[in-house]
Amino acid sequence: MKTKSATDQDLAAQRRASFTRRHFLRGLGACIALPAFESLLPTKLLAAGAPEGGLATTATGAPLRTAFVYFPNGAIPGAWWPAAEGADFQLSRTLQPLAPAQKQIQVIGGLDHLNAMPGADGGGDHARANGTFLTGVRMKKSATDIHAGISIDQAIARQVGHLTRFPSLELTCDAGRNTGACDSGYSCAYQYNLAWSSPNTPMTPEANPRQVFERLFGAGAPGERVANARRRRQEEGSILDFVMQDARSMQHRLGGRDQDKLDQYLTGIRELEGRIQKAEQLGEAKDPMVETPPGLPADYAQHIHLMYDIMLLAFQTDSTRIATMLLAHDGSNRSFADIGIPEGHHDLSHHQGNADKIEKITEIDLWYVQQFGKFLEKMSATQDVDGNSLLHNSMIVYGGGNADGNRHTHVNLPVVLAGGGGGTITPGRFVKHGGKPASNLFLSLADRMGVKNLERFGDSTGRLANI
Amino acid sequence: MNPRSFILTLLVISAWAGGEPLPAAVVASAEFNQKIRPILEEYCYDCHGGGENRGGVALDAFNSTTNFDGSRDVWWRVLKNLRANLMPPAKRKSRPTPEQKELIAQWIKSSVFEADPLNPDPGRVTLRRLNRVEYQNTIRDLTGVDFDALGVFPPDDTGHGFDNIGDVLTLSPMLLEKYLVAAEKIIGQAVPTESRVVPEQVVAGSQFRTGGQSKDTYSGPQSLSYYEPAFVTNIFHAAQAGQYQLDVDLMVNEKYVDDVFDYNKCRFSFRVDGKELLAREFSWEGGKPYHFSYNQNWAAGDHQLDFELRPLTPGAAQTRTLSLQITAVTVRGPMAKESGVRPKNYAQFFPREVPAPAAARRQYARELLGDFARRAFRRPVDSDTTNRLAKLAESIYDQPGKTFEAGVAEAMVAVLASPRFIFREENAEPAGGQPYALVDEYALASRLSYFLWSSMPDEELFQLAAAGRLRENLSAQLARMIADKRADALEKNFVGQWLQARDIETIPIDARSVLAREQKFDPERDALRQRFRELNDKPDDTLTPAEKTELADVRAKFFKARQGQPAADLTPDLRRAMRQETEGVFSYILREDRSLLELLDSDYTFANERLARFYGIPDVFGSEMRRVTLPPDSPRGGILTEGTVLAVTSNPTRTSPVKRGVFILDNILGIPPLPPPPNIPPLEDAIKNVDGHAPTLRETLAVHRENPLCASCHDQMDPPGLALENFNALGKWRDQEFNQPIDAAGRLVTGESFSNIRELKQVLVKNHAEDFYRTLTQKLLTYALGRGLDYYDVETVDQIVARIEKSGGRPSALLAGIVESAPFQKARVRSEATATAGDNADEKFAKEKL
Repeated sequence: MKTKSATDQDLAAQRRASFTRRHFLRGLGACIALPAFESLLPTKLLAAGAPEGGLATTATGAPLRTAFVYFPNGAIPGAWWPAAEGADFQLSRTLQPLAPAQKQIQVIGGLDHLNAMPGADGGGDHARANGTFLTGVRMKKSATDIHAGISIDQAIARQVGHLTRFPSLELTCDAGRNTGACDSGYSCAYQYNLAWSSPNTPMTPEANPRQVFERLFGAGAPGERVANARRRRQEEGSILDFVMQDARSMQHRLGGRDQDKLDQYLTGIRELEGRIQKAEQLGEAKDPMVETPPGLPADYAQHIHLMYDIMLLAFQTDSTRIATMLLAHDGSNRSFADIGIPEGHHDLSHHQGNADKIEKITEIDLWYVQQFGKFLEKMSATQDVDGNSLLHNSMIVYGGGNADGNRHTHVNLPVVLAGGGGGTITPGRFVKHGGKPASNLFLSLADRMGVKNLERFGDSTGRLANI
Repeated sequence: MNPRSFILTLLVISAWAGGEPLPAAVVASAEFNQKIRPILEEYCYDCHGGGENRGGVALDAFNSTTNFDGSRDVWWRVLKNLRANLMPPAKRKSRPTPEQKELIAQWIKSSVFEADPLNPDPGRVTLRRLNRVEYQNTIRDLTGVDFDALGVFPPDDTGHGFDNIGDVLTLSPMLLEKYLVAAEKIIGQAVPTESRVVPEQVVAGSQFRTGGQSKDTYSGPQSLSYYEPAFVTNIFHAAQAGQYQLDVDLMVNEKYVDDVFDYNKCRFSFRVDGKELLAREFSWEGGKPYHFSYNQNWAAGDHQLDFELRPLTPGAAQTRTLSLQITAVTVRGPMAKESGVRPKNYAQFFPREVPAPAAARRQYARELLGDFARRAFRRPVDSDTTNRLAKLAESIYDQPGKTFEAGVAEAMVAVLASPRFIFREENAEPAGGQPYALVDEYALASRLSYFLWSSMPDEELFQLAAAGRLRENLSAQLARMIADKRADALEKNFVGQWLQARDIETIPIDARSVLAREQKFDPERDALRQRFRELNDKPDDTLTPAEKTELADVRAKFFKARQGQPAADLTPDLRRAMRQETEGVFSYILREDRSLLELLDSDYTFANERLARFYGIPDVFGSEMRRVTLPPDSPRGGILTEGTVLAVTSNPTRTSPVKRGVFILDNILGIPPLPPPPNIPPLEDAIKNVDGHAPTLRETLAVHRENPLCASCHDQMDPPGLALENFNALGKWRDQEFNQPIDAAGRLVTGESFSNIRELKQVLVKNHAEDFYRTLTQKLLTYALGRGLDYYDVETVDQIVARIEKSGGRPSALLAGIVESAPFQKARVRSEATATAGDNADEKFAKEKL
């Protein structure tokens, strides 16, 4: 007779975790293989059928989604850009993994973020690349006095967010956080957030797959979630009343910046109240009937897949129509030992013309695109309510705010626009735009989402034609 | 600060003013022309005057009519560079005397900053949200629940290197939602919602014995091997007769072995008083838990519970060490209502019996919730709050089927979700017309507890604050709080971030690549490696049989060679020991009140066997960390040569002398170099080869410094960073890299030369103690206040540094200096007018800051 050793327990726990993880992926896979998804969509939407004033809706009455996925440290330009423009373009080495979805992607050249250039602000290109990417503005250079601008996803969510249970979804695969200061006097907030609901309120992204899944669909085993969510909602009502009153009276006692903090609190409370109302109108979130995913996976690729899966599930169930995902913050020094590149990504990206380093960076760029390619394949294999694929009814920007990581350039940014926008865009092409603000593209996407009265955004100079 | 020169300055000013107060700007200008300008002319104008403006600074732009208010940032830089001996540059022969430097420093502080040493500006802290560490600790101290905030909440953004800075602690809708869910979960776990529950006794697996009751106190699961017969028993005494429920928890375990199976089976049974309730075959199904439940009608007295295991497959290979774990048997009962007992924690939340009359219940709810809210909000609550909470509780417990306790618990959820819990609101004492007021004692209690414990105040602090006696007992409370176990938070959170020791647990370092740089070149092994790659890259089916044999052979040779290598990887236990070393050294110096300079150089460190072996320190055994006296020739001792610092300042495959240099300049000397320029000029291939060998980092950096633009900063960063080149990216000692001996010699930007790390440490201790005190004070003050420091804090920092120097470098002087300082004790007063007009005072201050 002997007692169980700690190692045994650890092993058992690990195996259980990997079992659950497999189970989740398998479950989700099975879910995707279903022919139609009426069961997962809010009944009201199907009943309505017709577009609601064209707001985030396709011509065929399906939801139209927009997502932004950020990859760090730029891409080796020579390997990223296809050789020639046009509809019959040859995929470049780095974009090769997108071959199965080539007809549904558009490689967009010639987009810039001039506000990420140093200007008078000096060093800090990673912070600027990251913080400017979806905001298009010049960020205030400060470690504490943060000031960016509203990001495009949030500008869209302001107008279409009320249609779904979650106005928007913010995800990250950058779970760890180093201590110490971030890039060159910029607050870390610029580097770890893509979405900003106001110039000083970043929308903190979620890294833990389990947490985000439970937030979307409720806690508990498949089948129990609807009841759990309903019970929580009932309990929350009186608590929200109480804390709202606390917040209001506290706000009277405070001034200036302190009031901003209370504003952030009140915004959160209103969003929760809105969701309660929505649940009353539309019913509770539909239970996707898959296993809840595990917490943070140790493996980066696993983590990315889970987060992409969850984004897909959120779109499929029409839980939201807006999502952002930070694969890793710009300047990330992640080691890719699993693919034989133990050096740090950022350290390598300053390759100084060294061929060996350029090759390694190209491999990392390719690796990120591979993960995105798998996501697109799933999106393409998932049928939406109108019979089209989920990818057809989406607009997904995959890109970064650094063009050439070696020299920290912010012109001709690497950008791929995936999806058909419900038939409003013409994918399957490589189009060069010759030096237009990336914000122009964002405005064109916002237009397609039915956003009204957004004349300008960030440093936009107009709409991006020919997308 | 030198008090004598301060008095001198005052005398000088009053002499000019002829006893009459003059406008500050006039005084400043007059003194500038008389006393300051001549010094600047002599030492500074060569580069910063007469048309020269190196670094964008022209000091001759200031004259008698200049209003210095608009140039505070320039003079703040002058002050920093002067004190750090960065300016005038070390290579210049003519340098100001210490007296002249002090004169300039005093003039900048009194005239440009208009600092009043007797009443310094406390600055302004933005309302602070609890960060996730503070949240977790506060929940622990408030409710006793061990809540995993680090797993549930997203990381907090940092500013100035710390994650408790009010301005940067934002609150997104997602986080707010998490606060709500967390509140429900925590209260659900902590607060009982019934006054009586069915009694429950857990008989741990280990309490089942082969024969008789043993005296062994181990209480946990017990595993029985599939391969040997076993019979274990426990006598359970039921005090009362009645209906009982027995919950049996089992689990199948195995030692996992790749691609090997274990087909053993066993028969397992559970008997109560001789009657078989469970009999079942178990096979290979590692990690699977089982739960069984049985109802029993028991008489009072002893009942015998037996488990029996019989192997069924004596011939099968026993490869995976299959075992059946008896986790526990939980006996619940008697089920009858009158046998109910108080739930766990009941008295902690409900000290009295719940009264029956409605009015008395309401009053009891008010009492309970008022007290809970007081502790949660860290200050007394008004009756309106208490009434609203009681009403909320009543709205629940008045519902059919809901208990009084459930109602109170629900109101407690509201307390934890309230902004008054999530944010640290502070009140101030009456200002009496002054621009600055003392924060009230409740705010002071929280400032103390979150600074030293990263948690809420305890009852002693609350009581002193309630009696208005906390300030008068400040030093006694400080000593008590430092001695308390909760002060560990200061090491974990302050030191963990100041020295980045937290990062050691996750930083990716590839030991193989690091060690490859130190390996002597071996042509035979290199040829072997080339061949292995060639063969391994070929698809399996294209290999000839001869090649296959060769591949297996090469692989085996490699495997063997690798096994011979010393284990140098940063394993989790080693990383943990490194973090504990950094925390332990600081804690020891703090709690024993030893000299702060021991952080720079000491003849001891903290280590366990694992870390000592890694460092090459003999005769340390066991896993617990303890103070270890270093051998006389050891290069360790002091933070610079701790594993944490050496590893977190490295890249994944190599050291980074630049990062290490920046670390020393920023965290030890307090002169962080400017950030790298936006467009880094490429080194291209100029440094591919130096004298026919791959360049060392020292050689690479030397090429780098030939460019004057790079040199301006790298002359500062590289030498102290290169002094640590004897330590690789893992933090292990080495003598050579790429077959080149390590050269750790160098010269600090302030002029002192050193030939190795030990000499550098001595230089720091002898010549830079004051810089180090100032740096540490600035870092700790930033952490204590939750805001970045500004020009008006220079006075406060100087006072604390003077106090540390006077004490001979004692941590007690540093801590007392901080908690007694104006910014820790006081707040700026918002006037009525500005308070209603949306805080123009802040904007005014913001403008003043430039």
